[in-house]
Amino acid sequence: MSAESPRIGVYVCNCGTNIAKVVDCDAVADFASQLPGVVVARSYKYMCSNPGQEMIVQDIQEQQLDRVVVASCSPRMHEPTFRRALQSASLNPYFLEMANIREQVSWVHDDGAIATDKAKALVRAAVNRVTRHEPLESMSVDMCPDTLIIGGGIAGMTAALEFADAGKRAYLVEKLDHLGGNVARVDLTAPYMDAAGDIVADRVRRVIESPNIEVFLNSEVRSLDGFVGNFTAMIHTSEGPAGNGHDVKVRVGNVVVCTGYKEFDATRVTHYGYGKLPNVITSFEFEHMLHEGRIEMKDGRPPQYVAIIHCVGSRSPEFHTYCSRVCCMTALKYAREVKSALPTSYVSDIYIDMHAFGKGMEDFYRRSSEIKTLFLMYKRGDHPVIRKADPGDDCDMLIEVHEQLSGETIEIPADLVILMVGMEAREDSEEVAHLVNISRDKDGWFIESHPKLDPVATTTEGIYIAGACAAPKDIPDTVAQARAAAGRILSKIARGKIEIEAVYAEVDEERCSGCRICNDLCPYVAIEYDPETKRSHVISALCKACGACVAACPSGAIKARHFTDAQIFAEIEGVLA
Amino acid sequence: MAIRANPKLIDELVPYGAEDVVKCYQCGNCSAVCPFSKQPYVFPRKPMRLLQMGLEEKIKSSIDPWLCYYCGQCSEQCPREAEPGETMMSLRRWLTSRYDWTGISRLFYKSWRFEVGAVILVALATVAGFLAFGFSQGSIHHYDGPHAFLPSPSIHIFDWTLAIVLLALLLSNAARMWWFTMGRDKEVKAPLSAYFTKAYLLPVHFFTQKRYSQCEHKAPWLTHLALMLSYVTMLVLIMFFLRDMAAGPAIDWHVHIFGYLATIGLIGSSILFLRSRITKSSAQYKHSHESDWIFLVLLLTVAATGILQHILHRSGLDMAANIMYVTHLALVVPMLGLEVPFSKWSHLAYRPLAMYFADVRAVALARQGQPESMPEPVGGGLRTA
Repeated sequence: MSAESPRIGVYVCNCGTNIAKVVDCDAVADFASQLPGVVVARSYKYMCSNPGQEMIVQDIQEQQLDRVVVASCSPRMHEPTFRRALQSASLNPYFLEMANIREQVSWVHDDGAIATDKAKALVRAAVNRVTRHEPLESMSVDMCPDTLIIGGGIAGMTAALEFADAGKRAYLVEKLDHLGGNVARVDLTAPYMDAAGDIVADRVRRVIESPNIEVFLNSEVRSLDGFVGNFTAMIHTSEGPAGNGHDVKVRVGNVVVCTGYKEFDATRVTHYGYGKLPNVITSFEFEHMLHEGRIEMKDGRPPQYVAIIHCVGSRSPEFHTYCSRVCCMTALKYAREVKSALPTSYVSDIYIDMHAFGKGMEDFYRRSSEIKTLFLMYKRGDHPVIRKADPGDDCDMLIEVHEQLSGETIEIPADLVILMVGMEAREDSEEVAHLVNISRDKDGWFIESHPKLDPVATTTEGIYIAGACAAPKDIPDTVAQARAAAGRILSKIARGKIEIEAVYAEVDEERCSGCRICNDLCPYVAIEYDPETKRSHVISALCKACGACVAACPSGAIKARHFTDAQIFAEIEGVLA
Repeated sequence: MAIRANPKLIDELVPYGAEDVVKCYQCGNCSAVCPFSKQPYVFPRKPMRLLQMGLEEKIKSSIDPWLCYYCGQCSEQCPREAEPGETMMSLRRWLTSRYDWTGISRLFYKSWRFEVGAVILVALATVAGFLAFGFSQGSIHHYDGPHAFLPSPSIHIFDWTLAIVLLALLLSNAARMWWFTMGRDKEVKAPLSAYFTKAYLLPVHFFTQKRYSQCEHKAPWLTHLALMLSYVTMLVLIMFFLRDMAAGPAIDWHVHIFGYLATIGLIGSSILFLRSRITKSSAQYKHSHESDWIFLVLLLTVAATGILQHILHRSGLDMAANIMYVTHLALVVPMLGLEVPFSKWSHLAYRPLAMYFADVRAVALARQGQPESMPEPVGGGLRTA
């Protein structure tokens, strides 16, 4: 097909009223129909709907269109939809260009006339660009059916068992000398009060017994090379007959990162006297007490007054602004455990907001108040203050709270104070992120491909995340994510081969000087230097076509497919014309 | 200055009927549905909170529980079944026990056995006393006349003695109530003149219970009003016209028509209340404290024995009438002597007083120029501008 006499179809989507309420879509279509090369231009209510797609297919076939412009939403959601439509009409899917007239126009402008002008400019740019599009073919590579799982907590074990049950091999790498992660440190679980130990022990047994799971304890993944379907991981393990470390090399198709979280370090909060007052402890220290079966003060006496303080390190401007999600219900669990162990004790629960979402949790909250838990609400940023009680008092400490529900400033007696420490990203999360080439957010949590629609995938193909390494999460959500990640990977393994996006950068080795500027610049570690030829080349399966190397190459030797200079200049000219 | 919370207070209130207050999570539906809940008297929500936190002195200083007539709507609306209406009721019981300086009220509310025991003891003492008195100076075969077993002038003297003792107890408790809620308040100093200008509210609230009529359900108010008016009528008859009531043989209709009406009112309304409590017909009758039963049973039996002795006397059965009279007195004395100062009956004084205090407070706050904390006049339409 020649770019000189293109036959372009332009489709202006109304998106119900999302676009049409601001942009005059018919006027945009009329305008498009006047543009050079445009054979047909239409405005329609929903282009992404089946009739909308059929309209495109029919036009391609009846009017011999060779290029299509869809002016609608951001390509993020529906570019694959329209590419498939082109494909079904036997047209190369890369002859599509989308003009974003929703997010970039109708949702951000009020003035209809100006918005319509902008939409026209964007459509003109898209028409200009699509004229210069080239047909691209995506490639497919073999998928190695084995999977590497980093982290032997509840998420890692669950994912490993999913692979094992499907008859696939999983390598489970755990840094510590035992499996179970943070869940193994917990006594009972909210809201049904079943023992975390049972949940963990059963999984550990099945993991160890499974012939399909190879467990590496006291081990770390030192390096991960390759790309989706074909990774090579180097596992350094201190296990072995001699006790000295050795490296194991495994080939895997996918990686699930389940590195979990670490608890907030309570010594960073000075106002609760943690570390100074002997009977101020963290939630995990309390879990340890529960494990031991003894709730007691430092001097061995059982506490008469137990106070639980929420949001230690969470929802605070100084530490973490996010909510750690599990602490509220864990606090209620403590209230119940204290009451059942010490029926004559008094539990006060000092919180900011009670987050009781999730199955069974609101009932759990109600039941916890029925056992006479005193709930006291403090304001974010106006934390309670603990002081030692006076000699005459029947308690060890007094906690001053500006109680929000009553408006009163009160002092509540306490013998034992439990600080509900939040979750935070592990110290090694940066290292892990670098190792598997994924990103972290401002709090250090790994970033998912899409927070709602693609929560276990990452922006790196073949790397998945599950559980609390992505954000604070409870056990059910963690398990669900582990299974989701395993399911995603198993469906790819079942296909045997994987399609790789046809859009990537290419090095013209004739022009490459071997300066290696691009090597370190590439955020996806997709560029390799060949010391023999003294040239760099792009591993296309890893490349995300971000264009960093293209811009940086001093020799102009790198070209990004689908983002050529000609295409981009044409688009700019279209906008500015 | 921080107020010390006492998490144990909630346990102390359980015998008073407040076991469900723990379920409250302060959504405020109760206060939203209550026609009387207005700043600064945000009840039941606020008193429930104070109770949960165990702010004992705050509760002792608050008149809020007395501003509630317990229509039960709050309890119907409560999403947590925290029974806000019953919590207010239990706070009234607790406050009654705090106002009472003898400590007897506390014992009554904490143990129904103690209260029943006290009633029986006083009843037996009354029987013994009146039998001894009757046999010492009269004949059991004579109801009236010179040999009357229990001559009305003597009973009259006894009634007045009892009344003075009760009044003294009630007034001293009321004075304590004033001290806790008004006197010791350093922030709001009510001017003496306000106590005088607002004094008319006391009889108004006592006799009309007009605020109760503002609750959405009207039937309880009418029954309560009938009971109260019958009781007051009977009290006036006994205190001032006892001689005319007891004397025969002719019936003095000026006196007796009121007596019969009051009897019908007392028996009818106490049966209605008993039936409501037995069938738990609506929210306010669902949780009957032992003191509620003791009170209603005494009221009904006092009225019944009262009218029975009258009928027996009129039928010429003097001995039976005398025995019934002694029985009647054996019920009247504990009912008045124990219930009025120490138990449920005492609300006849505390409730009108609380509404009166609320209006006096409103005057004081207005004088102190605190428009943001200006209370709504509790007297409602009754308050002159």
